Amino acid sequence: MLKTGWMWSPAAFVLASVLCGTLPAAAEKLEDQLVIATTGGLMGNTLAKYFYDPFSKAKNVEIVPVAIEVPDQWARAKAMQRTGKVEFDIVTATGPDLVGRTDMLEKIDCAKLPSVQKFGVSDACQPYGVARTTGGMLITYNTETFKTKAPKTWADFWDVKQFPGPRGLPDTGDSDWWVPVAALLADGVKPEQLFPLDINRAYKKLDEIRPNVGVWWKTGDQVQQIMRSREVVMAMSYSGRALAVVKEGVPAAMSWDQAIRDTGYMAVLKGAPDLNAAMAYLDFFYASSDAHVPFMRAVNYATASKSAIELLKLEERNLYATSPENYEKLVKPDFAWIGEHRNELRERWMAWLTR
Amino acid sequence: MMEAGRSHFWHSDGRQLSGLSTLLLLLPFFAIIAFVFVYPILQLLVISVLEPHPTLDNYARVVENPVHMRVLMRTLWTATLVTALSVVLGFPVAYYMSRAKGTVAALVAVCVILPLWSSVLVRTAAWSFLFQRNGLINSALMALGLTSEPFKLLYTQSAVVIAMAHVLLPFMILPIYGALRSIPNDYGRAAAVLGATRLRTFLEVILPLSLPGVVSGSLLVFLTALGFFITPALLGSPQEMMISTLVSKQIREVLDWPFAAALVGVLTVFVTLLAIVFSKTLRFDRLMGNAS
Repeated sequence: MLKTGWMWSPAAFVLASVLCGTLPAAAEKLEDQLVIATTGGLMGNTLAKYFYDPFSKAKNVEIVPVAIEVPDQWARAKAMQRTGKVEFDIVTATGPDLVGRTDMLEKIDCAKLPSVQKFGVSDACQPYGVARTTGGMLITYNTETFKTKAPKTWADFWDVKQFPGPRGLPDTGDSDWWVPVAALLADGVKPEQLFPLDINRAYKKLDEIRPNVGVWWKTGDQVQQIMRSREVVMAMSYSGRALAVVKEGVPAAMSWDQAIRDTGYMAVLKGAPDLNAAMAYLDFFYASSDAHVPFMRAVNYATASKSAIELLKLEERNLYATSPENYEKLVKPDFAWIGEHRNELRERWMAWLTR
Repeated sequence: MMEAGRSHFWHSDGRQLSGLSTLLLLLPFFAIIAFVFVYPILQLLVISVLEPHPTLDNYARVVENPVHMRVLMRTLWTATLVTALSVVLGFPVAYYMSRAKGTVAALVAVCVILPLWSSVLVRTAAWSFLFQRNGLINSALMALGLTSEPFKLLYTQSAVVIAMAHVLLPFMILPIYGALRSIPNDYGRAAAVLGATRLRTFLEVILPLSLPGVVSGSLLVFLTALGFFITPALLGSPQEMMISTLVSKQIREVLDWPFAAALVGVLTVFVTLLAIVFSKTLRFDRLMGNAS
């Protein structure tokens, strides 16, 4: 009895999906709306244009975008889960979040997301998130200040004799491991031998650069601003922000050498009210490669779509982290290690920074 | 803050209101305060001792970790510097205001009060433009040939203290002005008749009588400065981090609410103690400038 039932349902499932011409994930009933929290401005508007609106039309689900900075989003999500009234469905997560905040996130069944499997790069689907955009924490520098010789690596960033002038480093997001990683690379550690991080060695190296840090920037807007106003001659920056500054016509360039890979994931909040719609959206995001190219051009970040990056010409492709040329130069962080040692990393960072 | 027995309202014809009517008049104000201020603060303090389980560990962490104590001490030190600068800048303005007449007096008053209507964020952003490496101050200094390399002005403690003093200055000027205004002109004349020079009149008559205003202004500025958030965050570097930024980091980035609540608890205790000490040593009605 049990066995026949078990045999029957997948067959009916396949038959139904073939007849309706829909994906298996869509066979489950979708909710009327879907609440997606992302940073606002350019990212929010561009997502709406290329993904939210088409999704709404195709699936008849109203998307409610919430514009919120990532730290505030986590604070709100935490408050929602404390009070038991979860309002967000999809949130923005970083690599370490997918390891360190699993208690707040819904587990994702990658087998149920065929488009991500088919069109995304191999590691696009993770147990607690689906890759949205990939960039790198890289060096951006003023090309008028460094006309003849440009800084390329973190060792150059630390080399104030050859490349004098104030630097910008982040005091936000994941700076508690980004900055120590850059310090270790500057000190000559090979990228593949970075993890586990030698924290003492990193902070010894950080003491060297500290007097030359003019700005500890706190937001993406601020890193653009300090490059524009020449408050600093070089900075560690989100690649997308550096690219935006270059496109503005500011005399600036970026170096992908030893850039630290930084992927933004879409994750589903535990207790999300519109779970089915959320999963359907994650799959929909990768279903159409055509939307990805104009989306990437607009937000300055690459998505994890295999087919999209191949549509770009070499010169343009090299502005993005996922081009084959740049992807090899990226430093790939060990998120599991970072997630496990997050408190230690954070406390050391705070102690050093406020000293 | 008001002492019992003196806290009554009066009818327009001069009869004192009954205790009940006074209570009814005050009720809406205290109801709002209780609901939007006292209740959330209490709830936060409850979290600080009950989570993750009933414990004082969160407070122990505040005291044990040198980072937190350093930030707390720096907050007190910054507030002290801001208060000192506000007195130095504010007293002459208040003194001038109390002596000025007619249009000039109105103009000065507008200049002092008008900034209160503009947002702290805007005033802070204006300072960041002045202080930039290629900002107005550095450009001017370099154009005058006073320096060849731009000074680092932005993201320093001086920038934070100057901008905070600017934002808080009205809270210093107004109480001092109130105190100075309530000193009858006859006192100065009497001193002059008795042969005191203008300096001596100022030092021995005007200054001591204006002290309640200075103290109340300082108290207002100091306590407000302790909780400042935007200005140190925008104009300071992490080395200038103040306690409210630390609280926000704990809530936004670390999501450690119980610990953030403990930090708030420590700050609340500090502020309350200070307020009590001041209200015991100085009569509160005198602080408000009613010296006569």
